[in-house]
Amino acid sequence: MPLVNFTAREITCKLVYYGPGRSGKTTNLQYIHGRVPESKRGRMVSLATHGDRTLFFDFLPLDLGTISGFTTRFQLYTVPGQVYYAATRRLVLQGADGVVMVADSQARRFDENLESLRDLQDNLIDQGVDIRTFPLVFQYNKQDLPPELILSPEALDESLNFRGVPSLPADALRGTGVFETLRSATALVLQRLAQRSGS
Amino acid sequence: MRAIEPWVEAPLDAFLRESSARIVLLMTSSGQVVAQHGFTRSLDVMAAAALGAGIIASTAEIARVMSLPTLGNVVHQGAGLSVLLAPFSMPAGTWVALVVFGPETTVGLVQLFCAGLAADLTAAAPQPRPAAPILAEQFEDELNASLRTLFGR
Repeated sequence: MPLVNFTAREITCKLVYYGPGRSGKTTNLQYIHGRVPESKRGRMVSLATHGDRTLFFDFLPLDLGTISGFTTRFQLYTVPGQVYYAATRRLVLQGADGVVMVADSQARRFDENLESLRDLQDNLIDQGVDIRTFPLVFQYNKQDLPPELILSPEALDESLNFRGVPSLPADALRGTGVFETLRSATALVLQRLAQRSGS
Repeated sequence: MRAIEPWVEAPLDAFLRESSARIVLLMTSSGQVVAQHGFTRSLDVMAAAALGAGIIASTAEIARVMSLPTLGNVVHQGAGLSVLLAPFSMPAGTWVALVVFGPETTVGLVQLFCAGLAADLTAAAPQPRPAAPILAEQFEDELNASLRTLFGR
């Protein structure tokens, strides 16, 4: 659940970037870190291996400014994508208010996307989360690669996006779709907060 | 000191006075900051909370994987300053205290007062309040404006 401070009128939400290894989760955070003014973001923390693969998580706190009179902050996390790090992935996912599923658009990586999506669903169910209503956004990354190597957003939607949640094509290395993905995910998380608090 | 809710302040104030700790950070088990004393830049507090919660979560998971009873506090003893990470139960779930202390006190005393802090916070915690509307229906315009400002577009 988002942490809401009624006294200081602050909301803090946790958004997790999920997906298979090398799909571009860390690249998303690095792009955001590079584009957002220093006054609006904290230090980016990366717990990585020597090969620069995420070992535990990347973390980037972001100040979204005032929304409905509340100072709104998002804590962005990535999980390690490699199958080997299943245990740490579960830990990072704990307490998440929303997930961005970063899928690798390359056709040869399709099975890994599917496996990661199943892993996400299993972990959410284990944590007692209702996956039918949980804020989830798909990002189909690496859409800049040659068309013969990748699947189209429509094909990926058909194969992965069973719930029909928002999905966005992206080239995270150059920033295409990164902002749009973040906007879509933060809106879903805040919509859910508004619905829950108003019901 | 800065606390999310005012009822946290008195127990934390007493803990700081008694333990001689230099920096204290209270967080939820998912790394959300509840209160802090001694940090100079608010956003760095969040990084410390994320890392502290990660250590406690991984320690608990190691215990589970190895079929050990729940592991307790984690202490990192430094040459000058040391760090204690202490998880404790609250009515709303597990919280974690990250305490930085120097040679003017001892790890035993800090742990003792930390247990007292947990008891005082539990006693001071208010009953869960009924849900009230938080965000206005039309918050998305403000969200979009904020994000446009952040990304300069």
